[in-house]
Amino acid sequence: MIELSNIRKFYQMGPDTIHALDDVSLRIDEGDFVSIIGPSGSGKSTLMNLIGCLDTPSSGTYVLDGMPVEKLSRNQLAEVRNRSIGFVFQTFNLLPRLSALENVEVPLVYAGVDRRHRRALAQQMLEKVGLSDRGRHLPNELSGGQRQRVAIARALAGRPAVLLADEPTGALDTRTGEEIMALFAELHKEGTTIVLVTHDPVLADKAPRIIRLKDGRIVGVEDFTLGHQVSGSTARVAAASLSAATAQKELVS
Amino acid sequence: MSKDRKAGMKLSRDKNTAMVIDSILMSVRSLVGNPVRAFLTVLGIMIGVAAVIALVALGNGAKSTVADSLQTLGSNLLIVYSGEPRGSSLVRRNTTNITPVLSQEDLDSTRQLSGGLISMAAPESSASVQLKVNNLNMAATAIGTDVYYPEVRNFFPVYGRFFDQEEYASRSLVAVIGIEVYRQLFPSGEDPLGQKVRINGIGFEIVGIMQEKGNSSQDSSILIPMSAFQRSISGEADYAIINIQAANSEVMRDAQLWVESVLLQNHGIASMDFADFYIANQLDILATAQGVTGTFTVLLAGIAAISLLVGGIGIMNIMLVSVTERTREIGVRMALGARPGDVLLQFLIESIILSIAGGIAGVLIGLLASWLAVHVGNMAAVPDYFSVLLAFGFSLATGLFFGGYPAWRASRLDPIEALRYE
Ligand SMILES: Nc1ncnc2c1ncn2[C@@H]1O[C@H](COP(=O)(O)OP(=O)(O)OP(=O)(O)O)[C@@H](O)[C@H]1O
Ligand SMILES: [Mg+2]
Repeated sequence: MIELSNIRKFYQMGPDTIHALDDVSLRIDEGDFVSIIGPSGSGKSTLMNLIGCLDTPSSGTYVLDGMPVEKLSRNQLAEVRNRSIGFVFQTFNLLPRLSALENVEVPLVYAGVDRRHRRALAQQMLEKVGLSDRGRHLPNELSGGQRQRVAIARALAGRPAVLLADEPTGALDTRTGEEIMALFAELHKEGTTIVLVTHDPVLADKAPRIIRLKDGRIVGVEDFTLGHQVSGSTARVAAASLSAATAQKELVS
Repeated sequence: MSKDRKAGMKLSRDKNTAMVIDSILMSVRSLVGNPVRAFLTVLGIMIGVAAVIALVALGNGAKSTVADSLQTLGSNLLIVYSGEPRGSSLVRRNTTNITPVLSQEDLDSTRQLSGGLISMAAPESSASVQLKVNNLNMAATAIGTDVYYPEVRNFFPVYGRFFDQEEYASRSLVAVIGIEVYRQLFPSGEDPLGQKVRINGIGFEIVGIMQEKGNSSQDSSILIPMSAFQRSISGEADYAIINIQAANSEVMRDAQLWVESVLLQNHGIASMDFADFYIANQLDILATAQGVTGTFTVLLAGIAAISLLVGGIGIMNIMLVSVTERTREIGVRMALGARPGDVLLQFLIESIILSIAGGIAGVLIGLLASWLAVHVGNMAAVPDYFSVLLAFGFSLATGLFFGGYPAWRASRLDPIEALRYE
């Protein structure tokens, strides 16, 4: 479903070129739960923004659902973000003047869902994240954990193909972070594809598949599902680039 | 998954309506949520619209005041003045020191030969005189005329009577005094009828008081029979003025042309270019006066339009600030699927809502100001509903135009840059 090949992302800072991503190839299939871990500045957010079609690579190709993303217009990209991708941000990014329920409705507005339908769907999503009684609250009337739940409900409202979460627990305490992680696990069980970025190895371990980034390169892939799932395993092995595969061997040994 | 997405596609036709309604609700909410800022933003538009409406109302009021006060001169009035026409000023302020050239023959021919164009005519000559009652003095204008004068000039006695045909014929020394003359010469309010007033030392018996006209030239005059005026005061046989009432307003122009030709013939003059008299037509006076106030209105409306423009720039300024402030929100919306057009629409609607709010407030203030001008300020103000529409439409256009650039800027933002914005 998500297929990145030889993706590079450079930033030109005066005379220096920063390689935020350097030759990253990656494949994520429907129903996967992947966590991306790596030190600060390793390019995790950059990678997520590329996957989420918020940003474009300097080189390489990205194919989403069979479509090469670089061929899409601004409007088509918006549509992809609206229908195929659900974003969860570290800082929640709720719209401050809208209630929790209205925040959840926003992607549905852009999807053109009519008002009544939208309300019902949004309410349903709030129920799913355990906040059905907080719909009328404004974001600043909610706790951090609650805000992140609203953001997750919002990301899920349009029934996207994949949920992208960039350090969703980064602004939360450990206990709340674990609750959010439990929610992700549950969503994954229901069939949602999830890509999760985190600093925290403990949280990363909750995902069946872990991709390690360092200095813009994939330095390791751990796939705990490989042993159990025989079918489709060939596809999964192709996920990592050659160098990453070597690194994986080192890690395993 | 793909089935869901197709279902979503089907709904996309209603999308724009839903977006518009949502944007309207949201901008109304942000307006209400931040009333002080909203007020300051729309202040310019508000003042502009209010100014257009109030000033046009005052201009209209001035126009109709001029029309009204001209109507008090008399209806369908033509005034023949002795002397050469003087440029564009149709009304002679000072008629006391012109050489009279209009004869009894002129008066008779206008009266008798008009063929239905003219219903009445009255001669008029005037002089500055000194009035004296007992030991009170005042300066006034003595007007010599005949019994048709009240009718032609729409100027009647309120007390007592006008002099009659018999008194006119017998050159009786009788006088009808203006209300101001009465007030000054009879300060204690006694009955003036039958009392003597001395005009330049000659005693006249007061037979009536004229109605109040609100202009000093008529209210401070004293009216006496033309026959007595000629003999006792001016010594001139000719008249300074002939007041003519046309049969109706449609024939005024014809009546004027007819009178011109008759008088030219009487005076043996070839054309109006060489005439020793000229004719002021009430319609011309009205047109000139309204032309002046019309220019005034245009000028005021121009000033008001400039303030609308300034108001529009105010909206643009605030919308630019708002776009910058809400860069992150725009980024979030784009991440959630807002297309550039959706963002454009949202900000455009916001500025239109702002300008409509300002426009409505301006209309209300403008109408209120007009109402106050009439009921408190005692001014004439007639709100013109076309100007209300115009001002309102203009404020809307201002919102569209000046909101357009900020909205366009918002729509061109790069999603990732916008999300990173601090
Ligand atoms: N807009 C930008 N301009 C210049 N350099 C950038 C920009 N965005 C990211 N970078 C650089 O790219 C590299 C990767 O950044 P990125 O935000 O992806 O790191 P990260 O792995 O998400 O780090 P963290 O864990 O701290 O969030 C960093 O060195 C960063 O300085
Ligand atoms: Mg990051």
